[in-house]
Amino acid sequence: MKFFKLLLLPFMGAVVAAAFLWPEPAKGFLGESSRIVFFHVPCAWTAALAFIVAAAYSVAWLLKREARFDDVAETAVRLGLLFAVLTLLSGSLFAKIMWGSYWNWDPRESSYLLLVFLYSAYLFLRAAVSDPERRARIGSAYAVFAAVLMPFLVFVAPRVTASLHPQTVINPQGKILMDTPTKTVFFAALAAFTGLFFWMLEIESRLARLGRERARSGQREAG
Amino acid sequence: MSRRLGFFARAWAVCAKDAAQELRRRVAIASIFFFAATALALVSYAVGPFGIPPESRSRLDASLLWVILFFSAATSLPRAFVREEETGTGLGLRKVAPGVVVLAGKALFNFLLFLAIAALSVPAFSVLLEWRVRSKAGLLAVILLGGWGLSIVSTFLSALVARAGQRNVLFLVVSFPLLVPLLLPAIASTIQASEGAVEGTPLRVLAAYDGAATCAAYLLAAVAWED
Repeated sequence: MKFFKLLLLPFMGAVVAAAFLWPEPAKGFLGESSRIVFFHVPCAWTAALAFIVAAAYSVAWLLKREARFDDVAETAVRLGLLFAVLTLLSGSLFAKIMWGSYWNWDPRESSYLLLVFLYSAYLFLRAAVSDPERRARIGSAYAVFAAVLMPFLVFVAPRVTASLHPQTVINPQGKILMDTPTKTVFFAALAAFTGLFFWMLEIESRLARLGRERARSGQREAG
Repeated sequence: MSRRLGFFARAWAVCAKDAAQELRRRVAIASIFFFAATALALVSYAVGPFGIPPESRSRLDASLLWVILFFSAATSLPRAFVREEETGTGLGLRKVAPGVVVLAGKALFNFLLFLAIAALSVPAFSVLLEWRVRSKAGLLAVILLGGWGLSIVSTFLSALVARAGQRNVLFLVVSFPLLVPLLLPAIASTIQASEGAVEGTPLRVLAAYDGAATCAAYLLAAVAWED
Protein backbone atom coordinates (compact mmCIF):
# COMPACT_ATOMS: atom_id res chain seq x y z
CA MET A 1 0.00 0.00 0.00
CA LYS A 2 2.81 2.37 0.99
CA PHE A 3 4.51 1.61 -2.35
CA PHE A 4 1.41 2.77 -4.26
CA LYS A 5 1.24 5.95 -2.19
CA LEU A 6 4.92 6.70 -2.93
CA LEU A 7 4.28 5.98 -6.61
CA LEU A 8 1.27 8.31 -6.79
CA LEU A 9 3.26 11.58 -6.52
CA PRO A 10 5.62 10.95 -9.51
CA PHE A 11 2.73 9.38 -11.44
CA MET A 12 0.54 12.47 -10.91
CA GLY A 13 3.49 14.71 -11.88
CA ALA A 14 4.03 12.70 -15.08
CA VAL A 15 0.32 12.90 -15.94
CA VAL A 16 0.27 16.70 -15.49
CA ALA A 17 3.42 17.10 -17.59
CA ALA A 18 2.09 14.77 -20.31
CA ALA A 19 -1.27 16.58 -20.33
CA PHE A 20 0.50 19.79 -21.38
CA LEU A 21 3.26 18.35 -23.60
CA TRP A 22 2.26 15.10 -25.32
CA PRO A 23 -1.12 15.12 -27.15
CA GLU A 24 -1.86 17.72 -29.82
CA PRO A 25 -4.77 20.10 -29.03
CA ALA A 26 -8.00 18.53 -30.31
CA LYS A 27 -9.58 19.86 -33.51
CA GLY A 28 -12.73 21.98 -33.17
CA PHE A 29 -11.63 23.58 -29.88
CA LEU A 30 -10.16 27.06 -29.40
CA GLY A 31 -6.39 27.13 -28.70
CA GLU A 32 -5.24 24.75 -25.99
CA SER A 33 -8.67 24.60 -24.30
CA SER A 34 -9.16 20.89 -25.10
CA ARG A 35 -6.39 20.01 -22.59
CA ILE A 36 -8.85 20.71 -19.79
CA VAL A 37 -10.33 17.25 -20.49
CA PHE A 38 -7.34 15.75 -18.57
CA PHE A 39 -8.43 17.55 -15.37
CA HIS A 40 -12.11 18.34 -15.75
CA VAL A 41 -13.38 14.84 -16.63
CA PRO A 42 -11.25 13.07 -13.93
CA CYS A 43 -12.64 15.54 -11.35
CA ALA A 44 -16.20 14.76 -12.51
CA TRP A 45 -15.46 11.00 -12.44
CA THR A 46 -13.89 11.22 -8.97
CA ALA A 47 -16.89 13.17 -7.62
CA ALA A 48 -19.32 10.53 -8.92
CA LEU A 49 -17.06 7.75 -7.55
CA ALA A 50 -16.94 9.45 -4.13
CA PHE A 51 -20.74 9.56 -3.96
CA ILE A 52 -20.94 5.88 -4.93
CA VAL A 53 -18.37 5.05 -2.22
CA ALA A 54 -20.48 7.06 0.26
CA ALA A 55 -23.55 5.01 -0.71
CA ALA A 56 -21.61 1.73 -0.37
CA TYR A 57 -20.37 2.64 3.13
CA SER A 58 -23.86 3.83 4.05
CA VAL A 59 -25.21 0.39 3.10
CA ALA A 60 -22.41 -1.12 5.23
CA TRP A 61 -23.50 1.07 8.20
CA LEU A 62 -27.14 0.05 7.74
CA LEU A 63 -26.11 -3.62 7.81
CA LYS A 64 -23.47 -3.56 10.58
CA ARG A 65 -24.26 -0.33 12.52
CA GLU A 66 -20.55 0.40 13.12
CA ALA A 67 -19.57 4.09 13.43
CA ARG A 68 -16.42 3.67 11.29
CA PHE A 69 -18.56 3.06 8.18
CA ASP A 70 -20.45 6.28 8.82
CA ASP A 71 -17.12 8.17 9.19
CA VAL A 72 -16.02 6.96 5.74
CA ALA A 73 -19.41 7.74 4.16
CA GLU A 74 -19.43 11.32 5.45
CA THR A 75 -15.78 11.83 4.45
CA ALA A 76 -16.49 10.49 0.95
CA VAL A 77 -19.36 12.97 0.55
CA ARG A 78 -17.13 15.88 1.66
CA LEU A 79 -14.41 14.84 -0.81
CA GLY A 80 -17.04 14.27 -3.52
CA LEU A 81 -18.24 17.83 -3.00
CA LEU A 82 -14.67 19.11 -3.29
CA PHE A 83 -14.19 17.32 -6.64
CA ALA A 84 -17.66 18.37 -7.85
CA VAL A 85 -16.82 22.04 -7.13
CA LEU A 86 -13.49 21.60 -8.98
CA THR A 87 -15.50 20.11 -11.89
CA LEU A 88 -17.74 23.18 -11.93
CA LEU A 89 -14.77 25.59 -11.77
CA SER A 90 -12.78 23.86 -14.53
CA GLY A 91 -15.96 23.54 -16.63
CA SER A 92 -16.67 27.27 -16.20
CA LEU A 93 -13.16 28.15 -17.42
CA PHE A 94 -13.70 25.98 -20.52
CA ALA A 95 -17.17 27.53 -21.06
CA LYS A 96 -15.71 31.05 -20.95
CA ILE A 97 -13.13 30.18 -23.61
CA MET A 98 -15.45 28.15 -25.87
CA TRP A 99 -18.89 29.69 -25.40
CA GLY A 100 -18.02 33.21 -24.20
CA SER A 101 -19.46 33.12 -20.67
CA TYR A 102 -18.65 31.28 -17.45
CA TRP A 103 -22.17 29.90 -16.99
CA ASN A 104 -24.58 28.88 -19.77
CA TRP A 105 -27.14 26.64 -18.02
CA ASP A 106 -25.89 23.80 -20.16
CA PRO A 107 -27.71 20.64 -18.88
CA ARG A 108 -24.46 18.92 -17.84
CA GLU A 109 -23.13 22.05 -16.10
CA SER A 110 -26.46 22.36 -14.30
CA SER A 111 -26.57 18.66 -13.37
CA TYR A 112 -23.25 18.98 -11.47
CA LEU A 113 -24.47 22.14 -9.75
CA LEU A 114 -27.54 20.19 -8.61
CA LEU A 115 -25.27 17.35 -7.52
CA VAL A 116 -23.47 19.85 -5.26
CA PHE A 117 -26.86 20.90 -3.83
CA LEU A 118 -27.92 17.25 -3.45
CA TYR A 119 -24.90 16.29 -1.33
CA SER A 120 -24.72 19.64 0.49
CA ALA A 121 -28.25 18.72 1.62
CA TYR A 122 -26.75 15.50 3.08
CA LEU A 123 -24.45 17.62 5.26
CA PHE A 124 -27.32 19.96 6.24
CA LEU A 125 -29.46 16.95 7.17
CA ARG A 126 -26.71 15.51 9.36
CA ALA A 127 -26.04 18.88 10.99
CA ALA A 128 -29.74 19.13 11.97
CA VAL A 129 -29.63 15.90 14.02
CA SER A 130 -27.76 15.94 17.33
CA ASP A 131 -27.90 12.25 18.35
CA PRO A 132 -24.92 10.44 16.66
CA GLU A 133 -26.79 7.14 16.14
CA ARG A 134 -29.82 8.85 14.58
CA ARG A 135 -27.53 11.13 12.52
CA ALA A 136 -25.77 8.09 11.06
CA ARG A 137 -29.08 6.34 10.34
CA ILE A 138 -30.70 9.33 8.62
CA GLY A 139 -27.48 10.18 6.76
CA SER A 140 -27.11 6.59 5.53
CA ALA A 141 -30.73 6.35 4.35
CA TYR A 142 -30.41 9.68 2.50
CA ALA A 143 -27.04 8.75 0.92
CA VAL A 144 -28.44 5.47 -0.44
CA PHE A 145 -31.67 7.10 -1.66
CA ALA A 146 -29.70 9.92 -3.33
CA ALA A 147 -27.35 7.41 -5.01
CA VAL A 148 -30.35 5.61 -6.55
CA LEU A 149 -31.68 8.87 -8.03
CA MET A 150 -28.24 10.41 -8.86
CA PRO A 151 -27.96 8.67 -12.29
CA PHE A 152 -31.15 10.45 -13.37
CA LEU A 153 -29.52 13.77 -12.53
CA VAL A 154 -26.06 13.11 -13.99
CA PHE A 155 -26.72 10.76 -16.91
CA VAL A 156 -30.42 10.96 -17.87
CA ALA A 157 -31.70 14.54 -17.29
CA PRO A 158 -28.93 16.16 -19.43
CA ARG A 159 -30.06 13.97 -22.34
CA VAL A 160 -33.68 15.10 -22.15
CA THR A 161 -32.68 18.61 -23.27
CA ALA A 162 -30.20 19.80 -25.92
CA SER A 163 -26.60 20.39 -24.75
CA LEU A 164 -23.62 22.50 -25.83
CA HIS A 165 -21.29 20.11 -24.03
CA PRO A 166 -18.56 18.26 -26.06
CA GLN A 167 -19.49 14.57 -26.51
CA THR A 168 -15.96 13.14 -26.52
CA VAL A 169 -16.46 10.72 -23.61
CA ILE A 170 -20.22 10.22 -23.18
CA ASN A 171 -22.04 10.14 -26.52
CA PRO A 172 -24.84 8.23 -28.30
CA GLN A 173 -22.26 6.09 -30.20
CA GLY A 174 -20.89 4.80 -26.87
CA LYS A 175 -17.28 5.43 -28.03
CA ILE A 176 -14.45 7.56 -26.68
CA LEU A 177 -13.68 9.96 -29.52
CA MET A 178 -9.96 10.60 -28.88
CA ASP A 179 -6.64 9.81 -30.61
CA THR A 180 -4.20 7.37 -28.93
CA PRO A 181 -1.94 9.90 -27.06
CA THR A 182 -4.99 11.79 -25.76
CA LYS A 183 -6.68 8.55 -24.71
CA THR A 184 -3.49 7.35 -22.93
CA VAL A 185 -3.06 10.56 -20.90
CA PHE A 186 -6.81 10.71 -20.24
CA PHE A 187 -6.95 7.22 -18.71
CA ALA A 188 -3.73 7.85 -16.77
CA ALA A 189 -5.32 11.02 -15.35
CA LEU A 190 -8.43 9.05 -14.36
CA ALA A 191 -6.23 6.52 -12.53
CA ALA A 192 -4.18 9.27 -10.82
CA PHE A 193 -7.26 11.17 -9.60
CA THR A 194 -8.84 7.92 -8.39
CA GLY A 195 -5.67 7.05 -6.45
CA LEU A 196 -5.53 10.56 -4.99
CA PHE A 197 -9.17 10.28 -3.87
CA PHE A 198 -8.65 6.99 -2.05
CA TRP A 199 -5.52 8.34 -0.34
CA MET A 200 -7.38 11.47 0.82
CA LEU A 201 -10.32 9.29 1.91
CA GLU A 202 -8.06 7.15 4.08
CA ILE A 203 -6.41 10.15 5.78
CA GLU A 204 -9.68 12.04 6.31
CA SER A 205 -11.53 8.96 7.61
CA ARG A 206 -8.72 8.32 10.09
CA LEU A 207 -8.95 11.95 11.27
CA ALA A 208 -12.76 11.64 11.60
CA ARG A 209 -12.37 8.47 13.67
CA LEU A 210 -9.76 10.12 15.94
CA GLY A 211 -12.03 13.15 16.37
CA ARG A 212 -14.94 10.90 17.35
CA GLU A 213 -12.81 8.94 19.83
CA ARG A 214 -11.42 12.15 21.35
CA ALA A 215 -14.95 13.55 21.76
CA ARG A 216 -16.05 10.31 23.42
CA SER A 217 -13.09 10.27 25.86
CA GLY A 218 -13.72 13.98 26.62
CA GLN A 219 -17.35 13.17 27.49
CA ARG A 220 -16.21 10.26 29.68
CA GLU A 221 -13.76 12.52 31.59
CA ALA A 222 -16.43 15.22 32.02
CA GLY A 223 -18.93 12.61 33.29
CA MET B 1 -54.33 -2.22 13.14
CA SER B 2 -54.77 -5.96 12.69
CA ARG B 3 -51.82 -7.82 11.22
CA ARG B 4 -54.28 -10.10 9.43
CA LEU B 5 -55.09 -7.24 7.06
CA GLY B 6 -53.06 -7.24 3.83
CA PHE B 7 -50.38 -4.67 2.95
CA PHE B 8 -52.67 -2.53 0.79
CA ALA B 9 -55.57 -2.63 3.27
CA ARG B 10 -53.27 -1.41 6.06
CA ALA B 11 -51.71 1.26 3.81
CA TRP B 12 -55.22 2.39 2.86
CA ALA B 13 -56.11 2.60 6.59
CA VAL B 14 -53.09 4.93 7.17
CA CYS B 15 -54.15 7.01 4.14
CA ALA B 16 -57.76 7.23 5.44
CA LYS B 17 -56.48 8.26 8.91
CA ASP B 18 -54.40 11.07 7.36
CA ALA B 19 -57.34 12.21 5.23
CA ALA B 20 -59.64 12.26 8.28
CA GLN B 21 -57.03 14.25 10.27
CA GLU B 22 -56.57 16.78 7.47
CA LEU B 23 -60.31 17.17 6.86
CA ARG B 24 -60.89 17.71 10.57
CA ARG B 25 -58.44 20.65 10.49
CA ARG B 26 -59.93 22.20 7.35
CA VAL B 27 -57.61 25.21 7.50
CA ALA B 28 -54.60 23.10 6.40
CA ILE B 29 -56.33 21.76 3.26
CA ALA B 30 -57.88 25.15 2.50
CA SER B 31 -54.47 26.87 2.74
CA ILE B 32 -53.01 24.50 0.08
CA PHE B 33 -55.78 25.31 -2.40
CA PHE B 34 -55.59 28.99 -1.50
CA PHE B 35 -51.85 28.93 -2.24
CA ALA B 36 -52.52 27.28 -5.63
CA ALA B 37 -55.20 29.86 -6.46
CA THR B 38 -52.93 32.78 -5.47
CA ALA B 39 -50.02 31.42 -7.54
CA LEU B 40 -52.35 30.85 -10.48
CA ALA B 41 -53.77 34.39 -10.25
CA LEU B 42 -50.28 35.88 -10.04
CA VAL B 43 -49.01 33.89 -13.04
CA SER B 44 -52.04 34.58 -15.22
CA TYR B 45 -51.91 38.29 -14.34
CA ALA B 46 -48.20 38.50 -15.26
CA VAL B 47 -48.11 36.38 -18.44
CA GLY B 48 -51.81 35.93 -19.29
CA PRO B 49 -53.38 36.70 -22.70
CA PHE B 50 -52.55 40.41 -22.39
CA GLY B 51 -48.99 39.79 -21.12
CA ILE B 52 -47.42 37.35 -23.58
CA PRO B 53 -49.52 35.99 -26.50
CA PRO B 54 -50.46 32.27 -26.00
CA GLU B 55 -48.70 31.17 -29.23
CA SER B 56 -45.36 32.58 -27.93
CA ARG B 57 -45.35 30.79 -24.59
CA SER B 58 -46.18 27.10 -25.12
CA ARG B 59 -42.87 26.04 -23.46
CA LEU B 60 -43.21 28.64 -20.71
CA ASP B 61 -46.77 27.49 -19.88
CA ALA B 62 -45.65 23.91 -19.16
CA SER B 63 -42.92 25.17 -16.79
CA LEU B 64 -45.30 27.56 -15.02
CA LEU B 65 -47.90 24.81 -14.57
CA TRP B 66 -45.36 22.54 -12.85
CA VAL B 67 -44.04 25.42 -10.71
CA ILE B 68 -47.62 26.00 -9.48
CA LEU B 69 -48.26 22.26 -8.91
CA PHE B 70 -44.90 21.67 -7.21
CA PHE B 71 -45.02 24.61 -4.81
CA SER B 72 -48.72 24.09 -3.98
CA ALA B 73 -48.00 20.45 -3.13
CA ALA B 74 -44.78 21.40 -1.30
CA THR B 75 -46.82 23.31 1.30
CA SER B 76 -48.37 20.01 2.42
CA LEU B 77 -45.89 17.27 1.46
CA PRO B 78 -43.43 17.68 4.39
CA ARG B 79 -46.31 17.31 6.88
CA ALA B 80 -46.74 13.57 6.18
CA PHE B 81 -44.45 12.42 9.00
CA VAL B 82 -43.69 15.77 10.64
CA ARG B 83 -47.33 15.97 11.84
CA GLU B 84 -46.97 12.62 13.66
CA GLU B 85 -43.95 13.92 15.59
CA GLU B 86 -45.59 17.28 16.37
CA THR B 87 -48.79 15.70 17.70
CA GLY B 88 -46.90 12.93 19.52
CA THR B 89 -48.66 10.13 17.61
CA GLY B 90 -45.48 8.79 15.97
CA LEU B 91 -44.76 6.24 18.70
CA GLY B 92 -48.30 4.82 18.53
CA LEU B 93 -48.14 4.54 14.76
CA ARG B 94 -44.77 2.74 14.99
CA LYS B 95 -46.34 0.18 17.32
CA VAL B 96 -49.31 -0.66 15.07
CA ALA B 97 -47.78 -0.65 11.58
CA PRO B 98 -44.33 -1.29 10.05
CA GLY B 99 -42.48 1.62 8.39
CA VAL B 100 -43.15 0.45 4.85
CA VAL B 101 -46.94 0.34 5.41
CA VAL B 102 -46.93 3.83 6.97
CA LEU B 103 -44.81 5.17 4.09
CA ALA B 104 -47.14 3.60 1.49
CA GLY B 105 -50.25 5.01 3.21
CA LYS B 106 -48.82 8.49 3.56
CA ALA B 107 -47.49 8.50 -0.02
CA LEU B 108 -50.95 7.46 -1.22
CA PHE B 109 -52.55 10.32 0.72
CA ASN B 110 -50.02 12.80 -0.70
CA PHE B 111 -50.67 11.42 -4.21
CA LEU B 112 -54.46 11.85 -3.85
CA LEU B 113 -53.93 15.36 -2.51
CA PHE B 114 -51.65 16.17 -5.49
CA LEU B 115 -54.33 14.85 -7.88
CA ALA B 116 -56.94 17.06 -6.17
CA ILE B 117 -54.66 20.11 -6.55
CA ALA B 118 -54.05 19.20 -10.22
CA ALA B 119 -57.78 18.58 -10.86
CA LEU B 120 -58.52 22.16 -9.83
CA SER B 121 -55.35 23.92 -11.02
CA VAL B 122 -54.99 22.47 -14.54
CA PRO B 123 -58.47 23.42 -15.86
CA ALA B 124 -58.19 26.87 -14.20
CA PHE B 125 -54.71 27.31 -15.70
CA SER B 126 -56.04 26.29 -19.10
CA VAL B 127 -58.89 28.81 -18.96
CA LEU B 128 -56.98 31.74 -17.46
CA LEU B 129 -53.92 31.43 -19.72
CA GLU B 130 -55.74 30.15 -22.83
CA TRP B 131 -53.50 27.07 -22.70
CA ARG B 132 -54.53 24.47 -25.27
CA VAL B 133 -53.66 20.79 -24.71
CA ARG B 134 -53.82 18.64 -27.86
CA SER B 135 -53.20 15.31 -26.06
CA LYS B 136 -55.36 15.24 -22.92
CA ALA B 137 -54.64 11.54 -22.30
CA GLY B 138 -50.90 12.33 -22.57
CA LEU B 139 -51.21 15.16 -20.03
CA LEU B 140 -53.13 12.84 -17.67
CA ALA B 141 -50.33 10.24 -17.93
CA VAL B 142 -47.70 12.93 -17.16
CA ILE B 143 -49.66 14.22 -14.16
CA LEU B 144 -50.16 10.68 -12.79
CA LEU B 145 -46.48 9.73 -13.20
CA GLY B 146 -45.16 13.12 -12.06
CA GLY B 147 -47.56 13.19 -9.13
CA TRP B 148 -46.59 9.72 -7.91
CA GLY B 149 -42.85 10.50 -8.17
CA LEU B 150 -43.34 13.76 -6.28
CA SER B 151 -45.42 12.03 -3.60
CA ILE B 152 -43.15 9.04 -2.95
CA VAL B 153 -39.90 11.08 -2.83
CA SER B 154 -41.46 13.80 -0.65
CA THR B 155 -43.03 11.31 1.74
CA PHE B 156 -39.74 9.45 2.17
CA LEU B 157 -37.83 12.70 2.78
CA SER B 158 -40.54 13.80 5.23
CA ALA B 159 -39.79 10.65 7.26
CA LEU B 160 -36.08 11.55 7.28
CA VAL B 161 -36.52 15.17 8.39
CA ALA B 162 -39.39 14.47 10.84
CA ARG B 163 -37.10 14.31 13.87
CA ALA B 164 -34.49 16.85 12.76
CA GLY B 165 -34.32 20.53 13.71
CA GLN B 166 -35.70 23.23 11.31
CA ARG B 167 -37.82 20.56 9.55
CA ASN B 168 -39.72 22.69 7.04
CA VAL B 169 -36.68 24.59 5.73
CA LEU B 170 -34.65 21.36 5.74
CA PHE B 171 -37.35 19.60 3.71
CA LEU B 172 -37.07 22.17 0.90
CA VAL B 173 -33.23 21.97 1.00
CA VAL B 174 -33.19 18.16 0.68
CA SER B 175 -36.16 17.74 -1.67
CA PHE B 176 -35.42 20.25 -4.42
CA PRO B 177 -32.22 18.64 -5.84
CA LEU B 178 -33.83 15.17 -5.73
CA LEU B 179 -36.99 16.35 -7.49
CA VAL B 180 -35.32 18.25 -10.36
CA PRO B 181 -34.68 15.01 -12.36
CA LEU B 182 -38.45 14.37 -12.04
CA LEU B 183 -39.60 17.89 -12.88
CA LEU B 184 -37.43 18.24 -16.03
CA PRO B 185 -38.96 15.24 -17.91
CA ALA B 186 -42.40 16.15 -16.52
CA ILE B 187 -42.11 19.62 -18.07
CA ALA B 188 -40.71 18.17 -21.33
CA SER B 189 -43.63 15.69 -21.53
CA THR B 190 -46.17 18.43 -20.73
CA ILE B 191 -44.78 20.49 -23.64
CA GLN B 192 -45.23 17.42 -25.87
CA ALA B 193 -48.82 16.95 -24.60
CA SER B 194 -49.70 20.56 -25.39
CA GLU B 195 -48.18 20.30 -28.87
CA GLY B 196 -49.52 16.84 -29.81
CA ALA B 197 -48.74 13.31 -28.70
CA VAL B 198 -46.62 12.43 -25.65
CA GLU B 199 -43.91 10.03 -26.77
CA GLY B 200 -40.22 9.17 -26.47
CA THR B 201 -37.57 9.68 -23.82
CA PRO B 202 -39.12 12.14 -21.29
CA LEU B 203 -42.11 9.92 -20.41
CA ARG B 204 -39.89 6.82 -20.16
CA VAL B 205 -37.50 8.74 -17.88
CA LEU B 206 -40.45 9.78 -15.73
CA ALA B 207 -41.63 6.16 -15.43
CA ALA B 208 -38.09 4.92 -14.68
CA TYR B 209 -37.59 7.62 -12.01
CA ASP B 210 -40.88 6.61 -10.35
CA GLY B 211 -39.86 2.95 -10.38
CA ALA B 212 -36.40 3.62 -8.93
CA ALA B 213 -37.71 6.02 -6.26
CA THR B 214 -40.52 3.63 -5.23
CA CYS B 215 -38.14 0.65 -4.89
CA ALA B 216 -35.55 2.68 -2.94
CA ALA B 217 -38.22 4.14 -0.63
CA TYR B 218 -39.71 0.65 -0.07
CA LEU B 219 -36.30 -0.79 0.90
CA LEU B 220 -35.31 2.15 3.14
CA ALA B 221 -38.72 2.89 4.72
CA ALA B 222 -38.05 0.86 7.88
CA VAL B 223 -34.72 2.67 8.45
CA ALA B 224 -36.20 6.13 7.81
CA TRP B 225 -39.10 5.61 10.25
CA GLU B 226 -37.10 3.72 12.91
CA ASP B 227 -37.22 5.17 16.43
